[in-house]
Amino acid sequence: MNAIVKAKGLTKQYGHILAVDHLNLEVFEGEIFGLLGPNGAGKTTTIRMLIGQTKPTSGEALIAGYDIIHDPIKAKESVGVVPEVSNVYDEMSAWDNLVFAAELYGVPRIERGRRAAELLRLFGLYERRDDKVGNFSKGMKRRLTIAAALIHKPSIVFLDEPTTGLDVQSSRVIRALLKQLNESGVTIFLTTHYIEEADQLCQRIAIINQGKIVALDSPEKLKAKAEEQHVVEVSFSPSKNVEHQLKDLKYVSGVSQVGDKLRLYVEDASEVVPMLIDFCRENNLKIVSFNTLKPSLEDAFVKITGLSPEVLAIEKEHAKKGESLG
Amino acid sequence: MQSLIKAFYIAKKDARVYYFKAPNFTYGLLMPVSLFIAFSISGQISSSLIVSGLTSLVILFGTTSIEAVAVVLEKQTGTFERLLVAPVSFFTILFGKALAGLFFGLVLAAAVLVPLTVISGTVVANPVLVFIAITFSSLTFSALGVLISAYAKWVPEAQMLSNFLRFPMAFLSGTFLPLELLPAQLGIIARFLPLTYSVEALRISINDSAPTTTYLMDILILALFSFILLVSGSKVLQRRLE
Repeated sequence: MNAIVKAKGLTKQYGHILAVDHLNLEVFEGEIFGLLGPNGAGKTTTIRMLIGQTKPTSGEALIAGYDIIHDPIKAKESVGVVPEVSNVYDEMSAWDNLVFAAELYGVPRIERGRRAAELLRLFGLYERRDDKVGNFSKGMKRRLTIAAALIHKPSIVFLDEPTTGLDVQSSRVIRALLKQLNESGVTIFLTTHYIEEADQLCQRIAIINQGKIVALDSPEKLKAKAEEQHVVEVSFSPSKNVEHQLKDLKYVSGVSQVGDKLRLYVEDASEVVPMLIDFCRENNLKIVSFNTLKPSLEDAFVKITGLSPEVLAIEKEHAKKGESLG
Repeated sequence: MQSLIKAFYIAKKDARVYYFKAPNFTYGLLMPVSLFIAFSISGQISSSLIVSGLTSLVILFGTTSIEAVAVVLEKQTGTFERLLVAPVSFFTILFGKALAGLFFGLVLAAAVLVPLTVISGTVVANPVLVFIAITFSSLTFSALGVLISAYAKWVPEAQMLSNFLRFPMAFLSGTFLPLELLPAQLGIIARFLPLTYSVEALRISINDSAPTTTYLMDILILALFSFILLVSGSKVLQRRLE
């Protein structure tokens, strides 16, 4: 397999802060590659270096065979970029936005209109092509931003948090489009807060923490790494806030709330069962449901990054609202 | 050549998106015209000085205003990122922005110059020389606008920073009264201001049918100012976007 992205010793330092620390990475042609990490882990800085938006302090990166530092124009010709915040021009129509993108990327005049129409149809925006983008919904702007990134038929598309802040329906549409795009041969490099999204879409995932890649594998293999930690999901009646009390129990390393259930991260599920029964008796609670779960990618992520499930839950909540914790 | 074409596309897009924003008309047209009327109404100013002074002033205010909108607003809304990730050099992006300012300067200059010459009965000696002077003035002030906008985070901040330069320049560059009448020290300062060369080149081209040495020097200095301001703007903005 050919590597379309090759990063070697990529480092970015902002003053005393080391945002990305000697990152080595290869992304292969035709794959969907995910970069996962908690807030401030260095995901966006990594993408910004790979697309030539910021210069690395040291190291090098080849995109489609071109050095992004020394030959940025050539490298950028093969790349499509979808930033975290949709950045189409509100004052222009959907059609004009795409034509401008085509002009910037040097698409021949004769092909601009045909390509714009093709993409607007693919992204379900053709009927609204003459409307000012300022009147579009968040999801429509997102689709148009992705369409603009594809106007020059790039070999690889970088997407930074493609579904952050979108409603469920729009997120689904975008995920389906990304899969479709990948099937047509486009390599996809994405960062996401949504671990489930990475699990559904990506063939390989790199987990970045404090500027370093701490794990890189397929989602299934990453999950296997987390298997030594057990997850127990339990719900009580009446539902009470007992998260903190459960956290103090022996063998319990973390607790997170998932809907009306509590997820307990334990060393050994069999040890926890009698403890939970005692706990219910002491607190006048009944167990409504009890399940032991196979480790999810999220569990692997928690284990690898050392992030507590509670912090992860807060991060996910912020991601849903489209906010960044920095 | 490809870079020049892409700079033109950026300018065309800027014209479409930013020309009709309100600050361009308030800061770009109404403010210099009001300023000029307020200061020249009681003075004994020759018609060629009125035409050259007001035209240069309108170009200065107009182009710096459009750059404040076109550069700062793009940074603010995130659309500048769209340009940064495209296969275009940073200098080309800013040159495109300056081109948008240049075209805006040409339009504003024509909007002021034509009625002014008719009303004042001024006969323009050489329209080609006038056009060249307006073009280089517009490019210089656009480049100045790019440099100012590189330092600003918000449009009002860019307008405020612009005013720090625009107002002293308006009074020191021979706009309201000939340079010879300024005190010697102020006359020296005037020689460091691009507006001085813009007013001078325009006045000469209105009065003389052939380019004089002073006119050619003015154009050369304006070209030099454009280049230095654009390169500085490019360096500052690149550093601040890191």
